[in-house]
Amino acid sequence: MTEASASPVLSGRQWRVSRIIQYALLQALIAALCVLGLLQSLPQPPTDYRITSFALIEGGSERAVTLPKFTAPHYAIENSPRFITQFVRTPAEASRAWSVFLPRFTNGVEVSVNGVVIQDSRRDPAANRPDRNTPQIADIPAPLLRDGANDLAIRLFVWGPIPGFLDRVWVGPDEVLRPYYDLRTMLFVTLPVVFSAWQAILAVILGIMWMMRRHEPAYGVLAAAMAVGFLQAFLQTPMGETPLSRVNAIVISSAPIESALVLTFTLLLAGLRWQRWWLLFFMPGIVLALGGAIAGQAAARALFPVLAVPMVGLSLLIMAIVSARSALRERNVASFLLGCAVTIMLTCWVVDLLSVFQVVPNRIFTARLSYSAMLVAIGAGLTWRFARALNQVDGFAGRLVAQVREAEDKLKASFAREEERARAAALARERARLMRDLHDGLGGQLVSIVALSERGNGSADIGDAARAALKDLRLVIDSMDDIGGDLMLALGSWRERAMAQLRPHGIALDWQIASAQGLPVHPELRPWHVIQIVRILDEALTNAVKHAHAHRITVRIETIAGEDGVERGCISVADDGKGFVLAADGGGAAGSKAARGLRNMQDRAARCGAELGLSSGAGGTEVKLQLPHRFPDSDAATG
Amino acid sequence: MNSLGDGPQVEAITVVLVEDDAPTLWRLQDALAKAGYQVKAAGTLTEARACLAEGAPRVLLTDLQLPDGHGVDLIRETRRRYPDTEIMVISILGDEESVISAITVGATGYLLKDAFPTDIAATVRDLVAGHSPISASIARFIVRRTQNSVEPPPGPPLNTTKLTPREIDILWGIAKGFSYAEIAGHLGLSRQTVPGHIKSIYRKLEVHTRGEAVFEAVQQGLIKL
Repeated sequence: MTEASASPVLSGRQWRVSRIIQYALLQALIAALCVLGLLQSLPQPPTDYRITSFALIEGGSERAVTLPKFTAPHYAIENSPRFITQFVRTPAEASRAWSVFLPRFTNGVEVSVNGVVIQDSRRDPAANRPDRNTPQIADIPAPLLRDGANDLAIRLFVWGPIPGFLDRVWVGPDEVLRPYYDLRTMLFVTLPVVFSAWQAILAVILGIMWMMRRHEPAYGVLAAAMAVGFLQAFLQTPMGETPLSRVNAIVISSAPIESALVLTFTLLLAGLRWQRWWLLFFMPGIVLALGGAIAGQAAARALFPVLAVPMVGLSLLIMAIVSARSALRERNVASFLLGCAVTIMLTCWVVDLLSVFQVVPNRIFTARLSYSAMLVAIGAGLTWRFARALNQVDGFAGRLVAQVREAEDKLKASFAREEERARAAALARERARLMRDLHDGLGGQLVSIVALSERGNGSADIGDAARAALKDLRLVIDSMDDIGGDLMLALGSWRERAMAQLRPHGIALDWQIASAQGLPVHPELRPWHVIQIVRILDEALTNAVKHAHAHRITVRIETIAGEDGVERGCISVADDGKGFVLAADGGGAAGSKAARGLRNMQDRAARCGAELGLSSGAGGTEVKLQLPHRFPDSDAATG
Repeated sequence: MNSLGDGPQVEAITVVLVEDDAPTLWRLQDALAKAGYQVKAAGTLTEARACLAEGAPRVLLTDLQLPDGHGVDLIRETRRRYPDTEIMVISILGDEESVISAITVGATGYLLKDAFPTDIAATVRDLVAGHSPISASIARFIVRRTQNSVEPPPGPPLNTTKLTPREIDILWGIAKGFSYAEIAGHLGLSRQTVPGHIKSIYRKLEVHTRGEAVFEAVQQGLIKL
């Protein structure tokens, strides 16, 4: 991996090769473990009761044989080989029931003890399937048994397609043998039934999934494979030749169809698209079915080893290659797991084949069992994936709901903002309209009065009154402007008007802004607050001009943090005039008019929630306006 | 703006004064004549055009509502014909609606009709000296326009896109009532450069040609093509 950065092209190939080797090694390991597992023989009853030496009567001749024994693949019923031997039951064992245990045989057995037939496996449909490893146990009726030597005869019925087989036989107390029989029954009879039941359920689930999601044919193909597997598992090999038996034979020999379906599923799972030539995979199965339907079950049985077994092997090989490719190239985890499963099945298939060709002295077929197990695992995996996808959909829906709620909140906020903006726009329009009206009418007339009074047509008082009216008009209009809660913007205009007012009197205006930002911004500030505050300041200024005879007026603007940590704006207007003595009621001593003016200022301050402080002395007068932390919505103290 | 009293004796600086209200015209004329300016008075747009036809005045002071037309047209014409003439609007209320539309065609600030004679003279003197006055309310109007880009607020169209951040800072200072010295101090400028910046602001707000006006209106989304 460290060379990757040095030469990317070469190391890319190296990397790929190393991955292929890793994968191959892993599969080899799986195969080896599988073989190791298959070599482990199943637990066997005590050897004391085992019988391996038989006399085989076959075609009129008799010879000694040792079990396990393979025979020819086909015998006529009347020519079935007979295995004859003797076993001893001691008198001490007389109190116990005895049985004959046949762990494995192909295809059928008839067991006789002392010349009496006690078991015919052909009557047990499950035992007639050569691909199953069905065991048999035959109870020996107590009266049949003698102390000492007893005769045991086993007729082996062989009807193909594979050679007959008889494994070692145990004869002994039933209580000793039966647990071994039960174990084999559970493994080779009950477990396949359980798997088949699972397959049936999964076939239904996957079929429904495919019905609802037609664009994912993998589900449908797997459902079909499961359905076929289920059907064939529950059908028995017919012993006679009936019309129904032909259908039966077709279905039982459906393994190539099933393997073609699973192969198609693997290809689809690997991300390939359906090709018409994939229909070729189904050809062996179709030929086999037609053969069975036309020529009878004997033909189907004859064709099975030729068509079905190679087809299963070929399917497994293609599946192994495709899964490996998909797992390596696309890092498809599902394909990787499937590849491992295919390796197990392929190993089982090879071992089964070796058994058929009598290379190994054993006839336990495991390919079918491993296939069923794999199919159940795939089905469960797909269902799990589907459920997870549903959960993701749920999660997505939840996220969507949250997002919609968020968007709704944003929309509400933006709606409120929009409303606020619309309100401000309406105010601005109204102001513009009012301004035009005042400009054209009242304003012009007041200006004329000022001009006329200056030309001697009226007294100076009239001129001053007209000027004051104009000033007030400008104040009202100015206050209606949207200043975005920044009182400093209103004070800026007021400073200009104050300077114009003070200039003729020769009074200097000292403008001090103590805090960097001036006053705190109040989003709740409304035009009527502004008018009240500016009128208070105007009143303070006018008092200083008219009564105090000041030379300098100082306006100080600052933000003061109170004891509660809340910042409040503070505006003070101080003059260096002669001052006055405060009366007990808070009014001034400079006459009733001035007293009324002060009371007026206090009223206005109260309406805005502000505090007005007044101090006066020899050094001058100071009006201090402490702004509220939050301006009241409505006129708090009218009147 | 801040200078008080009569300035030094000025040479005959010509001022064309256009005002339809006779008493107002007289008091403005008096104030300016007393300060030594050579004033040509006009009561209508026609008279004003006749006065201007005689030659370029140093200063044009005009009302906007005239009996036979609008002062904005007069300002635009004068601006084209005599680029060196200083133009100021005579306003009753100093409202931005009329003043801003005058500024966009070339006016520099406004003069209140009820201003004291000394202030009238001082304003014109500052104007001639190259100082362009800008009021807090006009500055406020302009900076509020630089903020609301989504939806133009009501009022005359105004293109603030050419203004630099520094110029906008200066306008904020003026809108909040800071003096030039205080603004210069806050922004780390020399006090003398502030009037220059204000003059530059006026120039940038001016819409020079009809074509440019259309172009800018499109850019600002005021006209949809």
